[in-house]
Amino acid sequence: MILNLALIAMILALLIPIYTVCKDQDIWQRMLAFASVASKAAILILVISVLRDDWMIGVVGVIILSVGNAGLMLLAHIIKRMNDLAST
Amino acid sequence: MCWPIVLVLVTEVAVTDSYVYVLTALLPLTASILVTQANPYHALVLRGILGAVAALVYTVLGAADVALTEALVGTMLAITLYAVAVRSSLVMRLGVLKEAIPDWRAASKSDDALVALQQADQANAEQPSFAPLLSDLRTVCGKHHLRLELVSYPDSQALQQALVDKEIHAALRVEHKDRYFSESGFEPNSERINLHSESFCSLCIRIRRLYDILQAELTSPAASLTYVDLATSPEVGPVLASVGEQQP
Repeated sequence: MILNLALIAMILALLIPIYTVCKDQDIWQRMLAFASVASKAAILILVISVLRDDWMIGVVGVIILSVGNAGLMLLAHIIKRMNDLAST
Repeated sequence: MCWPIVLVLVTEVAVTDSYVYVLTALLPLTASILVTQANPYHALVLRGILGAVAALVYTVLGAADVALTEALVGTMLAITLYAVAVRSSLVMRLGVLKEAIPDWRAASKSDDALVALQQADQANAEQPSFAPLLSDLRTVCGKHHLRLELVSYPDSQALQQALVDKEIHAALRVEHKDRYFSESGFEPNSERINLHSESFCSLCIRIRRLYDILQAELTSPAASLTYVDLATSPEVGPVLASVGEQQP
Protein backbone atom coordinates (compact mmCIF):
# COMPACT_ATOMS: atom_id res chain seq x y z
CA MET A 1 0.00 0.00 0.00
CA ILE A 2 2.69 2.49 1.06
CA LEU A 3 4.91 1.34 -1.79
CA ASN A 4 2.02 1.79 -4.22
CA LEU A 5 1.53 5.37 -3.07
CA ALA A 6 5.27 5.97 -3.42
CA LEU A 7 5.03 4.61 -6.94
CA ILE A 8 2.22 7.04 -7.79
CA ALA A 9 4.32 9.90 -6.39
CA MET A 10 7.27 8.81 -8.50
CA ILE A 11 5.11 8.72 -11.64
CA LEU A 12 3.98 12.27 -10.87
CA ALA A 13 7.62 13.26 -10.41
CA LEU A 14 8.35 11.71 -13.80
CA LEU A 15 5.94 14.20 -15.36
CA ILE A 16 8.06 17.18 -14.21
CA PRO A 17 11.00 16.67 -16.65
CA ILE A 18 8.56 15.79 -19.44
CA TYR A 19 6.89 19.16 -18.86
CA THR A 20 10.32 20.81 -18.87
CA VAL A 21 11.04 19.27 -22.26
CA CYS A 22 7.82 20.79 -23.66
CA LYS A 23 8.51 24.21 -22.19
CA ASP A 24 12.25 24.80 -22.48
CA GLN A 25 13.87 25.22 -25.89
CA ASP A 26 17.49 25.11 -24.74
CA ILE A 27 19.20 21.88 -25.82
CA TRP A 28 21.13 21.50 -22.56
CA GLN A 29 17.96 21.89 -20.47
CA ARG A 30 16.50 19.11 -22.58
CA MET A 31 19.56 16.95 -21.96
CA LEU A 32 19.12 17.50 -18.24
CA ALA A 33 15.47 16.47 -18.55
CA PHE A 34 16.57 13.38 -20.48
CA ALA A 35 19.01 12.45 -17.71
CA SER A 36 16.28 12.99 -15.15
CA VAL A 37 13.76 10.81 -17.00
CA ALA A 38 16.31 8.03 -17.60
CA SER A 39 17.29 7.87 -13.92
CA LYS A 40 13.70 8.09 -12.70
CA ALA A 41 12.57 5.33 -15.08
CA ALA A 42 15.34 3.04 -13.84
CA ILE A 43 14.51 3.71 -10.18
CA LEU A 44 10.81 3.11 -10.95
CA ILE A 45 11.69 -0.27 -12.46
CA LEU A 46 13.67 -1.15 -9.31
CA VAL A 47 10.74 -0.17 -7.07
CA ILE A 48 8.34 -2.24 -9.17
CA SER A 49 10.70 -5.21 -8.97
CA VAL A 50 10.68 -4.95 -5.17
CA LEU A 51 6.90 -4.51 -5.20
CA ARG A 52 6.33 -7.62 -7.28
CA ASP A 53 9.24 -9.55 -5.75
CA ASP A 54 10.53 -10.24 -9.25
CA TRP A 55 14.31 -10.58 -9.62
CA MET A 56 14.22 -10.55 -13.42
CA ILE A 57 12.74 -7.05 -13.49
CA GLY A 58 15.27 -5.96 -10.88
CA VAL A 59 18.22 -7.07 -13.03
CA VAL A 60 16.78 -5.20 -16.03
CA GLY A 61 16.40 -2.10 -13.87
CA VAL A 62 20.01 -2.24 -12.74
CA ILE A 63 21.27 -2.66 -16.31
CA ILE A 64 19.12 0.22 -17.59
CA LEU A 65 20.29 2.39 -14.69
CA SER A 66 23.93 1.79 -15.54
CA VAL A 67 23.69 1.85 -19.35
CA GLY A 68 21.34 4.82 -19.73
CA ASN A 69 24.02 7.24 -18.61
CA ALA A 70 26.49 5.95 -21.20
CA GLY A 71 24.16 6.79 -24.07
CA LEU A 72 23.49 10.18 -22.51
CA MET A 73 27.20 10.92 -22.33
CA LEU A 74 27.74 9.98 -25.99
CA LEU A 75 24.89 12.22 -27.11
CA ALA A 76 26.12 15.11 -24.96
CA HIS A 77 29.61 14.79 -26.40
CA ILE A 78 28.35 14.90 -29.99
CA ILE A 79 26.13 17.93 -29.28
CA LYS A 80 29.04 19.72 -27.63
CA ARG A 81 31.28 19.00 -30.64
CA MET A 82 28.56 20.35 -32.92
CA ASN A 83 28.33 23.57 -30.91
CA ASP A 84 32.12 23.97 -31.10
CA LEU A 85 32.14 23.50 -34.86
CA ALA A 86 29.12 25.71 -35.45
CA SER A 87 30.95 28.70 -34.01
CA THR A 88 34.06 28.38 -36.20
CA MET B 1 -13.22 20.57 -0.73
CA CYS B 2 -12.35 17.99 -3.36
CA TRP B 3 -9.25 16.71 -1.58
CA PRO B 4 -11.03 13.69 0.02
CA ILE B 5 -12.29 12.64 -3.41
CA VAL B 6 -8.79 12.90 -4.86
CA LEU B 7 -7.41 10.94 -1.92
CA VAL B 8 -10.02 8.20 -2.37
CA LEU B 9 -9.27 8.07 -6.08
CA VAL B 10 -5.54 7.87 -5.49
CA THR B 11 -6.03 5.17 -2.88
CA GLU B 12 -8.21 3.17 -5.22
CA VAL B 13 -5.65 3.51 -7.98
CA ALA B 14 -2.93 2.50 -5.55
CA VAL B 15 -4.76 -0.52 -4.20
CA THR B 16 -5.40 -1.99 -7.59
CA ASP B 17 -2.65 -2.36 -10.16
CA SER B 18 -3.84 0.69 -12.08
CA TYR B 19 -0.51 2.52 -12.04
CA VAL B 20 0.25 0.40 -15.09
CA TYR B 21 -2.30 2.45 -17.04
CA VAL B 22 -0.79 5.71 -15.88
CA LEU B 23 2.66 4.55 -16.98
CA THR B 24 1.35 3.34 -20.32
CA ALA B 25 -0.24 6.75 -20.94
CA LEU B 26 3.26 8.27 -20.77
CA LEU B 27 4.26 6.47 -23.97
CA PRO B 28 1.85 8.24 -26.38
CA LEU B 29 2.48 11.49 -24.50
CA THR B 30 6.24 11.48 -25.12
CA ALA B 31 5.75 10.11 -28.64
CA SER B 32 3.45 13.00 -29.54
CA ILE B 33 5.98 15.49 -28.14
CA LEU B 34 8.68 13.78 -30.23
CA VAL B 35 6.85 14.03 -33.56
CA THR B 36 6.21 17.76 -33.10
CA GLN B 37 9.93 18.63 -32.88
CA ALA B 38 11.47 20.60 -35.75
CA ASN B 39 15.10 20.63 -34.63
CA PRO B 40 16.71 17.21 -35.29
CA TYR B 41 18.95 17.43 -32.21
CA HIS B 42 16.00 18.19 -29.95
CA ALA B 43 14.19 15.27 -31.54
CA LEU B 44 17.17 13.03 -30.69
CA VAL B 45 16.98 14.00 -27.02
CA LEU B 46 13.24 13.35 -27.08
CA ARG B 47 13.95 9.96 -28.66
CA GLY B 48 16.10 9.14 -25.64
CA ILE B 49 13.27 10.10 -23.29
CA LEU B 50 10.85 8.01 -25.34
CA GLY B 51 13.25 5.07 -25.13
CA ALA B 52 13.49 5.35 -21.35
CA VAL B 53 9.71 5.53 -20.97
CA ALA B 54 9.24 2.63 -23.39
CA ALA B 55 11.71 0.48 -21.44
CA LEU B 56 9.79 1.33 -18.26
CA VAL B 57 6.44 0.38 -19.81
CA TYR B 58 7.79 -2.88 -21.25
CA THR B 59 9.18 -3.83 -17.86
CA VAL B 60 5.94 -3.05 -16.06
CA LEU B 61 4.00 -5.13 -18.59
CA GLY B 62 6.31 -8.06 -17.89
CA ALA B 63 8.54 -8.09 -21.00
CA ALA B 64 11.93 -7.69 -19.36
CA ASP B 65 13.86 -8.90 -22.40
CA VAL B 66 12.14 -6.40 -24.70
CA ALA B 67 12.86 -3.62 -22.21
CA LEU B 68 16.53 -4.57 -22.11
CA THR B 69 16.74 -4.56 -25.91
CA GLU B 70 14.97 -1.19 -26.07
CA ALA B 71 17.36 0.33 -23.56
CA LEU B 72 20.53 -1.04 -25.12
CA VAL B 73 19.80 -0.90 -28.85
CA GLY B 74 16.81 1.40 -29.21
CA THR B 75 18.04 4.13 -26.93
CA MET B 76 21.81 4.03 -26.84
CA LEU B 77 22.85 2.68 -30.26
CA ALA B 78 20.07 4.31 -32.28
CA ILE B 79 20.66 7.73 -30.74
CA THR B 80 24.40 7.55 -31.29
CA LEU B 81 24.05 6.47 -34.92
CA TYR B 82 21.38 9.08 -35.63
CA ALA B 83 23.46 11.80 -33.99
CA VAL B 84 26.42 10.93 -36.21
CA ALA B 85 24.17 10.83 -39.29
CA VAL B 86 22.49 14.16 -38.54
CA ARG B 87 25.78 15.81 -37.74
CA SER B 88 27.45 14.70 -40.96
CA SER B 89 24.51 15.35 -43.28
CA LEU B 90 23.10 18.67 -42.04
CA VAL B 91 26.12 20.70 -43.11
CA MET B 92 26.84 23.31 -45.77
CA ARG B 93 30.43 23.10 -46.97
CA LEU B 94 31.60 26.47 -48.25
CA GLY B 95 34.80 26.64 -50.29
CA VAL B 96 36.88 29.82 -49.92
CA LEU B 97 40.29 30.95 -51.06
CA LYS B 98 43.02 30.80 -48.46
CA GLU B 99 44.20 34.34 -49.24
CA ALA B 100 40.72 35.72 -48.58
CA ILE B 101 40.80 34.46 -45.01
CA PRO B 102 44.12 35.65 -43.68
CA ASP B 103 44.07 34.70 -40.02
CA TRP B 104 40.99 32.67 -39.35
CA ARG B 105 42.89 29.45 -38.76
CA ALA B 106 45.49 31.25 -36.72
CA ALA B 107 42.84 32.37 -34.24
CA SER B 108 43.38 30.59 -30.97
CA LYS B 109 39.77 29.63 -30.30
CA SER B 110 36.96 28.93 -32.69
CA ASP B 111 34.85 31.73 -31.21
CA ASP B 112 37.58 34.21 -32.07
CA ALA B 113 37.64 33.37 -35.77
CA LEU B 114 34.95 35.85 -36.76
CA VAL B 115 36.48 38.53 -34.54
CA ALA B 116 39.85 37.91 -36.18
CA LEU B 117 38.24 38.30 -39.60
CA GLN B 118 36.66 41.59 -38.63
CA GLN B 119 39.88 42.86 -37.10
CA ALA B 120 41.82 41.93 -40.22
CA ASP B 121 39.20 43.75 -42.26
CA GLN B 122 39.53 46.90 -40.18
CA ALA B 123 43.31 46.76 -40.20
CA ASN B 124 43.53 46.48 -43.95
CA ALA B 125 40.68 48.22 -45.73
CA GLU B 126 42.08 47.41 -49.17
CA GLN B 127 41.81 43.68 -48.50
CA PRO B 128 38.23 42.51 -49.15
CA SER B 129 36.50 40.56 -46.44
CA PHE B 130 33.36 38.50 -46.19
CA ALA B 131 32.86 38.56 -42.42
CA PRO B 132 29.39 40.22 -42.60
CA LEU B 133 28.26 37.79 -45.29
CA LEU B 134 29.59 34.91 -43.24
CA SER B 135 27.59 35.93 -40.20
CA ASP B 136 24.50 36.33 -42.42
CA LEU B 137 25.07 32.86 -43.86
CA ARG B 138 25.46 31.48 -40.37
CA THR B 139 22.14 33.01 -39.34
CA VAL B 140 20.31 31.56 -42.34
CA CYS B 141 21.93 28.16 -41.85
CA GLY B 142 21.10 28.20 -38.15
CA LYS B 143 17.47 28.86 -39.01
CA HIS B 144 17.42 25.65 -41.05
CA HIS B 145 19.49 23.67 -38.50
CA LEU B 146 22.42 23.56 -40.92
CA ARG B 147 26.05 23.80 -39.88
CA LEU B 148 28.38 26.05 -41.90
CA GLU B 149 31.79 24.54 -42.55
CA LEU B 150 34.53 26.57 -44.23
CA VAL B 151 36.96 24.72 -46.50
CA SER B 152 39.95 26.71 -47.70
CA TYR B 153 41.68 26.19 -51.06
CA PRO B 154 45.05 27.58 -52.20
CA ASP B 155 43.96 28.99 -55.59
CA SER B 156 40.86 29.50 -57.73
CA GLN B 157 41.67 26.47 -59.89
CA ALA B 158 41.48 24.16 -56.88
CA LEU B 159 38.26 25.89 -55.79
CA GLN B 160 36.64 25.24 -59.19
CA GLN B 161 37.81 21.64 -59.20
CA ALA B 162 36.39 21.10 -55.70
CA LEU B 163 33.01 22.43 -56.83
CA VAL B 164 33.03 20.15 -59.89
CA ASP B 165 34.11 17.15 -57.79
CA LYS B 166 31.25 17.89 -55.35
CA GLU B 167 33.62 18.26 -52.42
CA ILE B 168 31.89 21.52 -51.47
CA HIS B 169 28.33 22.75 -51.83
CA ALA B 170 29.18 26.34 -52.63
CA ALA B 171 32.21 28.44 -53.56
CA LEU B 172 32.71 31.94 -52.23
CA ARG B 173 34.76 34.56 -54.03
CA VAL B 174 35.56 38.10 -52.91
CA GLU B 175 36.39 40.96 -55.25
CA HIS B 176 36.17 44.73 -55.62
CA LYS B 177 32.85 46.12 -56.67
CA ASP B 178 34.16 48.52 -59.34
CA ARG B 179 36.06 45.73 -61.01
CA TYR B 180 32.91 43.61 -61.23
CA PHE B 181 30.93 46.38 -62.89
CA SER B 182 33.63 47.29 -65.39
CA GLU B 183 34.01 43.64 -66.40
CA SER B 184 30.31 43.25 -66.84
CA GLY B 185 30.27 46.08 -69.30
CA PHE B 186 28.62 48.61 -67.05
CA GLU B 187 29.80 52.18 -67.19
CA PRO B 188 31.10 53.04 -63.74
CA ASN B 189 29.26 56.14 -62.61
CA SER B 190 30.24 58.44 -59.76
CA GLU B 191 28.21 56.57 -57.15
CA ARG B 192 29.91 53.31 -57.93
CA ILE B 193 33.32 54.87 -57.88
CA ASN B 194 32.55 56.03 -54.36
CA LEU B 195 31.93 52.42 -53.42
CA HIS B 196 35.39 51.48 -54.63
CA SER B 197 36.68 50.17 -51.33
CA GLU B 198 33.67 47.92 -50.69
CA SER B 199 34.23 44.24 -51.19
CA PHE B 200 31.87 42.24 -53.33
CA CYS B 201 31.09 38.60 -52.61
CA SER B 202 29.90 36.12 -55.21
CA LEU B 203 28.51 32.79 -54.08
CA CYS B 204 28.41 29.89 -56.54
CA ILE B 205 26.02 27.18 -55.34
CA ARG B 206 25.55 23.77 -56.92
CA ILE B 207 22.54 22.64 -54.79
CA ARG B 208 19.21 23.92 -56.07
CA ARG B 209 17.44 23.81 -52.68
CA LEU B 210 20.32 25.60 -50.97
CA TYR B 211 20.24 28.26 -53.68
CA ASP B 212 16.49 28.77 -53.23
CA ILE B 213 16.84 29.10 -49.44
CA LEU B 214 19.72 31.56 -49.66
CA GLN B 215 18.06 33.53 -52.46
CA ALA B 216 14.96 33.98 -50.35
CA GLU B 217 16.53 34.64 -46.96
CA LEU B 218 20.01 36.07 -47.42
CA THR B 219 19.77 39.78 -46.64
CA SER B 220 23.37 40.79 -47.26
CA PRO B 221 23.40 43.43 -50.03
CA ALA B 222 27.00 42.88 -51.15
CA ALA B 223 26.52 39.29 -52.31
CA SER B 224 25.47 37.82 -55.62
CA LEU B 225 24.19 34.26 -55.80
CA THR B 226 24.70 32.01 -58.80
CA TYR B 227 23.24 28.56 -59.28
CA VAL B 228 25.43 26.07 -61.15
CA ASP B 229 23.77 22.94 -62.47
CA LEU B 230 26.59 20.40 -62.76
CA ALA B 231 24.32 17.88 -64.48
CA THR B 232 23.63 20.09 -67.51
CA SER B 233 26.82 22.16 -67.56
CA PRO B 234 29.72 20.14 -66.18
CA GLU B 235 32.16 22.89 -67.09
CA VAL B 236 31.82 25.24 -64.16
CA GLY B 237 35.01 27.11 -64.98
CA PRO B 238 33.52 29.90 -67.11
CA VAL B 239 30.79 30.58 -64.56
CA LEU B 240 33.23 30.83 -61.70
CA ALA B 241 35.68 32.86 -63.74
CA SER B 242 32.99 35.35 -64.73
CA VAL B 243 31.69 35.90 -61.23
CA GLY B 244 34.98 35.71 -59.40
CA GLU B 245 37.93 37.18 -61.20
CA GLN B 246 41.29 37.14 -59.43
CA GLN B 247 42.35 40.22 -57.56
CA PRO B 248 44.69 42.56 -59.47
